[in-house]
Amino acid sequence: MPPRLQLGAHRGLSSTTYIIRLPVRRPQRRFASSSTDTPEIYDVVCVGGGPAGLSLLAGLKASAITSGLKVALIEGQDLQKSRLRKDASLDSFSNRCSSLTPASVKNLQEIGAWRHVHASRVQPYHEMQVWDGVSDARISFDWESARTPFTPRKPSQPTTIAYMIENLNTTTALLSRLEELGGVDIYSATKVESIELGTDTQQLDMTSWPVVSLSNGKSLAARLLVGADGANSPVRTFAGIPSRGFDYNRHGVVASLQLSGPGWGGLDHKIAYQRFLPTGPIAMLPLPGNMATLVWSTTPERAAILKSLSSDDFIAMVNAAFRLSPTDLEYLHTLSSGQKDEVAWRERHTPAQERAIPQRVSFVQPGTVASFPLRMRHADTYTGERVALVGDAAHTIHPLAGQGLNQGQGDAAALFRTISHAVSTGQDIGSTLALESYTADRYAENNAMLGVCDKLHRLYSVGSGPLVGLRSLGFRAVDAIGPLKGFFMGRAAGGS
Amino acid sequence: MKSSRSLRSLATICRQQTADPLRMFHNVRTTRVPTIPTSRPYSSSTTTSTTPPPPKSSVDPTEVAHFNALASSWWDPHGPSRILHLMNPLRHTFISRCMHGTPRTSKPPSALPSKNLRYLDVGCGGGIFAESAARLPTTASVTAIDPTPSVLAIAESHKRRDPTLTLPGRLNYLNTSIEHLPVPSNPSNDAYDIVSIFEVLEHVSAPGPFLEMAMKQVKPGGWLVMSTIARTWTSWLVTNVVAEDVLGIVPKGTHEWSKYVNEDELRAWFLERGWGRVGNEMRVQGVMYVPGLGWQEVGGSESWGNYFLAVRRPDDE
Repeated sequence: MPPRLQLGAHRGLSSTTYIIRLPVRRPQRRFASSSTDTPEIYDVVCVGGGPAGLSLLAGLKASAITSGLKVALIEGQDLQKSRLRKDASLDSFSNRCSSLTPASVKNLQEIGAWRHVHASRVQPYHEMQVWDGVSDARISFDWESARTPFTPRKPSQPTTIAYMIENLNTTTALLSRLEELGGVDIYSATKVESIELGTDTQQLDMTSWPVVSLSNGKSLAARLLVGADGANSPVRTFAGIPSRGFDYNRHGVVASLQLSGPGWGGLDHKIAYQRFLPTGPIAMLPLPGNMATLVWSTTPERAAILKSLSSDDFIAMVNAAFRLSPTDLEYLHTLSSGQKDEVAWRERHTPAQERAIPQRVSFVQPGTVASFPLRMRHADTYTGERVALVGDAAHTIHPLAGQGLNQGQGDAAALFRTISHAVSTGQDIGSTLALESYTADRYAENNAMLGVCDKLHRLYSVGSGPLVGLRSLGFRAVDAIGPLKGFFMGRAAGGS
Repeated sequence: MKSSRSLRSLATICRQQTADPLRMFHNVRTTRVPTIPTSRPYSSSTTTSTTPPPPKSSVDPTEVAHFNALASSWWDPHGPSRILHLMNPLRHTFISRCMHGTPRTSKPPSALPSKNLRYLDVGCGGGIFAESAARLPTTASVTAIDPTPSVLAIAESHKRRDPTLTLPGRLNYLNTSIEHLPVPSNPSNDAYDIVSIFEVLEHVSAPGPFLEMAMKQVKPGGWLVMSTIARTWTSWLVTNVVAEDVLGIVPKGTHEWSKYVNEDELRAWFLERGWGRVGNEMRVQGVMYVPGLGWQEVGGSESWGNYFLAVRRPDDE
């Protein structure tokens, strides 16, 4: 038996400098005869069944130009198990929610997925209240106050800033759309064992094709391998694309909460709140009815304390975080219990404009208090030969602007456009030349958003000193100038 | 128009960098080989349908050496052929517009079949256009010819990297020139739906006889599609004076500006032969390379820069 070429080893092809492609997890090397493990050839293999990957696949299958592509999806989790139940109660929400911009919603409509969303579980909001926890300088965003005094309100002007939606609801809608469209080979609850380059047989030179070996024994060769596989993307590792960034040394504490009412604007005018504290921003985002979702960025130590508290004490801490001073909050985090009474006592001595802050939390949904580390990461590029990255595999962002999922949707839409153009002009959709326009389309935009959110985080991490005065001045100035506010809101809403 | 001129100049320089058969510097070589290097200069008035010289492939041996040097970089997306790679999608956009009409001429001249199209690519080089044509779902087969063996070896070897292209009959490379291709005896059956001649014409000394041979390969109702560069004072200035004398980046005498063919000359030439007489059966599109934006379609630029021209063979011919 002639010695087989070692898969995954450095192959000196042409002059292209190849970084050695690392197998994700080295499989037991198979020595079976080569004919039995000939990989099945696909045009697009997408690793990762999150919102970005699913959105890309739905886009491809919904378009007449690209629907003929042979497409596979690989997801380690069981996709069916992670779907929203049809009879899911409106008193209970997942703790992983996102704020979908109108641009993302428009894209989901275009690919035919939005009508599969559980609409009763989506909450549009029309106003944002953001303020500085140290100086109390405040900015309020709504389209009404964002217009100039001289221009009348256009009827076409959107009143919705964004839509709060459970990530589960988004993925469920996309999966339903994919089922409706058909034509995607879905490998659910299937792990990627390794990714290696193909081999050169006499008929075919597959040395530039990634071959994905699955835990079910199958192997798929990809004309284009899409890494939609999250922040620790194995596809990115395989492609040798470095990802740079840092940990913020912050955790995001999330929870599904019930408030004492539907909000100060009632059911038809929902308001999102965000208060910048020196440890990070705390946000209360509206869900249907009296429900709301919490995203509280704080130090890992404080996150650990918050998670250890009883429900009553946790609720007290959330209420306090929107009402009490940073100094009070610092003390409250030193207690291992008893926050409820302590907060009640302190609130009596702290004046608060109740109508300017979220209504009180009355109930925390059991099992929804969780936390995850916050990171900033950006891959050096989004494409390599026969590889494209979307979503968190390409970039991880501070959640303070709620842009992570939207960026992934923007990636998916842009990659779809790139693939579609390549197909209609006969280009090899995996070639770096065909993929260039995708990176060009997305990189600068994502980088700008990452930079802005990073700088906001740094700016508001300062607890005292002249910077606090300056940033308050900036807040008040932006708040006073309607058109400028409109510009910021347009950006947040996904416009340009 | 001043800015347009400077863009035009850039386009011409880029073009010279990629499309000159005698180019000596940077080992930049991307052009297709002159298929019929006769010495007869072309112009619409002097060229008639005289019989071409006896068919014999007469490729300059120094050019073969050049192509050998180029071989490894033909498919390098950042190599010397980059500008041709970037132009390639526009060729398809143009062809598809010819076949399907545009909003203004909404009715296509007549129906080519919407699928199972047969292509002949003349002077295919490393196969940039031929591969892309073979990948289209509407394509039945692509026959691609080039007289230079080393270039075809690149094309063949690159073809093996795509299973779609290795399907039987999908993409066939032939080491030959057009005068050696058998003339279809029954054009309605065995001629091609689309015959393409991209970036070749400007290197052909006698485009007339060359084009006549190409025309014989087109099916009635099919299209002959070509791209080249206009012979204007701007291109003369840039390629002969600036590039050669002032900058010295091109060896003196490299360019034969007189070989460039103007769009109006081509038009007249086809009309004389009864092709393209109906409004939308002949199409021209000027294209221009704009740094930072890539290739752009620029209306009117066909009279002074790179352009595509397509002409349809009449149904009854």
